[in-house]
Amino acid sequence: MAKILIPTPLRQFTGKQDSVTVTGDTVGSALANLTAQFPDLRKQIFNDEGKVRSFVNVYLNDEDIRYLSKTDTPVKDGDAISLVPSIAGGSALGGSVLAAPPEKAAPPPEAALTKEEILRYSRHLIIPEVGIEGQQKLKAAKVLLIGAGGLGAPLGLYLAAAGVGRIGLVDFDVVDFTNLQRQVIHSTADVGRNKIDSAAEKMKGINPNVTIVKHEVALTSENALDILKDYDIVVDGTDNFPTRYLVNDACVLLGKPNVYGSIFRFEGQATVFAYEGGPCYRCLYPEPPPPGLVPSCAEGGVLGILPGTIGLIQATETVKLILGIGEPLVGRLLLYDALSMRFRELKLRKNPECPVCGDHRTITKLIDYHQFCGVPSPNQAPAAQETRMNEGDISVIELKEKLDRGEKFVLIDVREPHEYKICNIPGAKLIPLGEFPQHVGEFSPDDDIVIHCRSGVRSGKACNVLRAAGFQHVRNVVGGILAWSDQVDPSVPKY
Amino acid sequence: MIRIESEPWTAMVAHARATYPNECCGAMLGSIEGDEKTVHAAAALDNAFAGEQARYYQLRSEDLLAADKAARERGMSLIGIYHSHPDCGAYFSETDLKNSCPWYSFVVLSIQKGEFDHANSWLPDADQTKADKEELIY
Repeated sequence: MAKILIPTPLRQFTGKQDSVTVTGDTVGSALANLTAQFPDLRKQIFNDEGKVRSFVNVYLNDEDIRYLSKTDTPVKDGDAISLVPSIAGGSALGGSVLAAPPEKAAPPPEAALTKEEILRYSRHLIIPEVGIEGQQKLKAAKVLLIGAGGLGAPLGLYLAAAGVGRIGLVDFDVVDFTNLQRQVIHSTADVGRNKIDSAAEKMKGINPNVTIVKHEVALTSENALDILKDYDIVVDGTDNFPTRYLVNDACVLLGKPNVYGSIFRFEGQATVFAYEGGPCYRCLYPEPPPPGLVPSCAEGGVLGILPGTIGLIQATETVKLILGIGEPLVGRLLLYDALSMRFRELKLRKNPECPVCGDHRTITKLIDYHQFCGVPSPNQAPAAQETRMNEGDISVIELKEKLDRGEKFVLIDVREPHEYKICNIPGAKLIPLGEFPQHVGEFSPDDDIVIHCRSGVRSGKACNVLRAAGFQHVRNVVGGILAWSDQVDPSVPKY
Repeated sequence: MIRIESEPWTAMVAHARATYPNECCGAMLGSIEGDEKTVHAAAALDNAFAGEQARYYQLRSEDLLAADKAARERGMSLIGIYHSHPDCGAYFSETDLKNSCPWYSFVVLSIQKGEFDHANSWLPDADQTKADKEELIY
């Protein structure tokens, strides 16, 4: 027996009763018994095909039966069934826009959940905003993760666990020891393996129901549209500017949301770009920074936990977009500072002058992003740049011989003091690159000067500073202290 | 015929002006005597449409359920829905019709440049094919 609450306007059909108690084991049979008792009520609730009309939502107590078992939802004594209208509208003239409100769109039949999945996702299913339909949306969703590194690690693990049906991974890198401090999807035993295989194995381990599609390539202007087109949402977990612009432009051109995150030391950012009506990455940053100005994580370091925080903000936004719930992080750049433990928000506006998503678009296809960002393309860069010798270079072997011979020369280390503490070459004088120009006066033009850093990049800049000041005998240690560790003294730690 | 008492009417107009240039929406609570409906109270509800709210509104079923419950508790009934049309007439659009429910009166308030202009009440049919104009007194 259940009590059906009758909306006021329908009481004319129930002899003015505001509620009617009927028999029935399910919501469907209770409603059938109600309309059998009051035939005029039937056409108010059911259409000609006997289905509940589109404008009627049926609630059992406080819950919408669409999120329970629809009309098969069992009914107990004392339950109350309410008929609640589904109402929307607006001045807009095109009637079909809301004709099927999003939550009424039926998920494809292949998204039906198995018994095992219902148990696995039970903590989702009992949230009204997710429920069976939401879980089916997750199962039907196709998400592309670009990068299986710091951001990709939490994203891959949690999106797989949440039941996103199809997850594509783009990565062509190999796991190394320096990754393990933050890329929790890879374990120590995975060092040397392809990241894509290592990541896919962990994700499958968490949730075998998820299909993982491996794209073991570098994302390029040639292949990006073809890879992205098969996905609903793209999540950017990359660490370099050419790929960020490439992902952004491809998302705008294909009309797919780009869930963006970036990290540096203790700070991170996240937002959703290229969402309908919202800004894109180019609206925020029309031009890339000059090459070398913004250090990467490899150059500047990153707190290992940070990509966990930012990656999970990206994962949260991805799941919200799939479910169509909440307020997406669109038009807002979320800034996170781990040291002060504060979140701030910047308002982002769509730039009407944006070359890719503005009113007068000049970018209508993918361009050469390495050229755009002023960095060498990976195809053009020599494979072993660090060990290639040029005039004005000195190898670590030559340096060692020079030291062993007891030659009189000046050895300078242009790294930072905290790097010097990790390891150093005995006898080297520490002058961080930023302070280097102020120290030029300390050297004599006759000095034999050798400069090193971690890998040879910063010391190359310091050499140029001296040469520009007229110094003749200046040499750069090719490969820096990393090469020293490899070729001279293996006891020196690499970082 | 639907008659809206001055207190709820003032609240509805204020609500529509406050949300301008977006559409507002809400529930009308009152009583029905034969063909005569009287609105005693207006409940402003959230426009839940995830998109351009200047041209669309959407009511959450949970909010309507709560409004209906509140009406019953106070001896009133949920008898109608109101919403605003910013900078256009108080017509019943195709969008309104295709997302309507024939059990209720639908009052539309036209707000022009932020100020109340005129209003109409509509009675849509069960098949969402047409809506008849209902006499509105306020």
